[in-house]
Amino acid sequence: MREVLAQAWTVARKDLLLEFRTRTALLSAVVFTALVLTVFNFGRDPTAVATIDLAPSILWVTFTFAAMLALNRAFQLELENQALEGLLVSPLSRLSLYFGKLIANLAFVTIVEAVGLPLFVLFFDVPVGHVLLPLVGVIVLATVGFVAVGTLFSAMVIRTRFAELMLPVLLLPFLIPPLVGAVQVTARLLAGRPLSEAAGWLRLLAAYDIWFVFLSSVLFRFTVDE
Amino acid sequence: MSLAHKGRWITLSGLVLLGGVYVRALAFTPVERLQGPAQKIFYIHVPAAIWTEAAMILVGLAGIFFLFLKDQRLDRFAEASAEVGTVFATIVLTTGPIWGKPIWGTWWTWDARLTSTLFLFFLYVGYLLVRGAVRDPGLRARYAAVLGVCGMCLVPFIHLSVFMFRTLHPQPIILKPSAPSLPNSMLETWLLSLGVFTLLYVGLVTQRYALSLARETRENGGRDLA
Amino acid sequence: MPEVPQNGGYMVAAYVVTAVILLVYAVSLYRRGNNP
Repeated sequence: MREVLAQAWTVARKDLLLEFRTRTALLSAVVFTALVLTVFNFGRDPTAVATIDLAPSILWVTFTFAAMLALNRAFQLELENQALEGLLVSPLSRLSLYFGKLIANLAFVTIVEAVGLPLFVLFFDVPVGHVLLPLVGVIVLATVGFVAVGTLFSAMVIRTRFAELMLPVLLLPFLIPPLVGAVQVTARLLAGRPLSEAAGWLRLLAAYDIWFVFLSSVLFRFTVDE
Repeated sequence: MSLAHKGRWITLSGLVLLGGVYVRALAFTPVERLQGPAQKIFYIHVPAAIWTEAAMILVGLAGIFFLFLKDQRLDRFAEASAEVGTVFATIVLTTGPIWGKPIWGTWWTWDARLTSTLFLFFLYVGYLLVRGAVRDPGLRARYAAVLGVCGMCLVPFIHLSVFMFRTLHPQPIILKPSAPSLPNSMLETWLLSLGVFTLLYVGLVTQRYALSLARETRENGGRDLA
Repeated sequence: MPEVPQNGGYMVAAYVVTAVILLVYAVSLYRRGNNP
């Protein structure tokens, strides 16, 4: 167990170091998020619908796009210099490889969200101060859900034709349950409802995360092995 | 009799019996008073929906067994079930709106069955796209199996999300198309239709399976594969 | 007693669409089987 975590951390650290050295992908994702939020502003009539009604959807559509963008780059790094083969012949277990990628992807998406959330609060004048902690909690739960399956699928699409198009097409149905849960909980939080009202949705999110992290980690080796 | 021939005969019987169901439903089953004749779409719509979902579960199960047993027959079956499932999904997604328009006044309603079937349709399309986008047969089978398993596991979460979402937005209860309290003549027609759709599933899958088998045999220079 | 709605047209449409989809698919499988 400790071995797996140690190896996973090695993989994650390598990815994150690479990412921070160039920073281009991170910057692009952040700029993209800001642009999407801007588009949403011009795509609505503030006199017709109150911001607070649309706010949860706007936030989560933005985060969903950001997550997919992040996942797209996940295995590109490996493919570029055939580093993937190198990783596979190393004594790293497939489980460690999956968790390493998962951690790296989570870190990446979380950073983008950490910039996106304040921007969202700023652009749409949404008060989140009093519910910040639970809101962050929901964001973490949903992000884990997105990235768990996304990490598995990004490993698969790498060796298909039209990889960049294939990933969103395959992934979107899997993003819906965590997305629905996240939007519902966010809506209640922003409306000042007690968290207990969203208990069912939170349980859905947690169950989804646990199940799909488990499933993806188990299936991962079938996508990289002969 | 070759597999393809058996398949054709089963399909043919299914189509003929479908004609029988049509006659029974249209001429010998009472008209529902509140909904009118359009209610009879139910006899086609629901059995098709049941098999759309069953076919996906079978794709998933075949996938699990394939990943561990590596038996090519399981992969061929999964491919066949996915294609037939897509056809059935198309039936549900076309008859649904045709039924919805006169009853609910709108072509699309996000009711539980239509929404779930829409997701199944997206999963099927993704599955078939992956199969089309991978050249190597071994890789293709493995990727498809992974996707199939994930798809099968997603289904309960979709149902749960839709159910929880709908209890927030209950739809008018005036009409209950799927109420189990059907009068006997209607129940019989429905059961007959379910039986016919089962037969059609078996026949079409057999034909499609035979097609894959024939294709592989040809590609392997006529060596016996079965 | 409320009138039974006259929406038979929709019923026919749905039944025809289903038959067409199934027949087209079955025929396509048959032809793909014959011309590999």
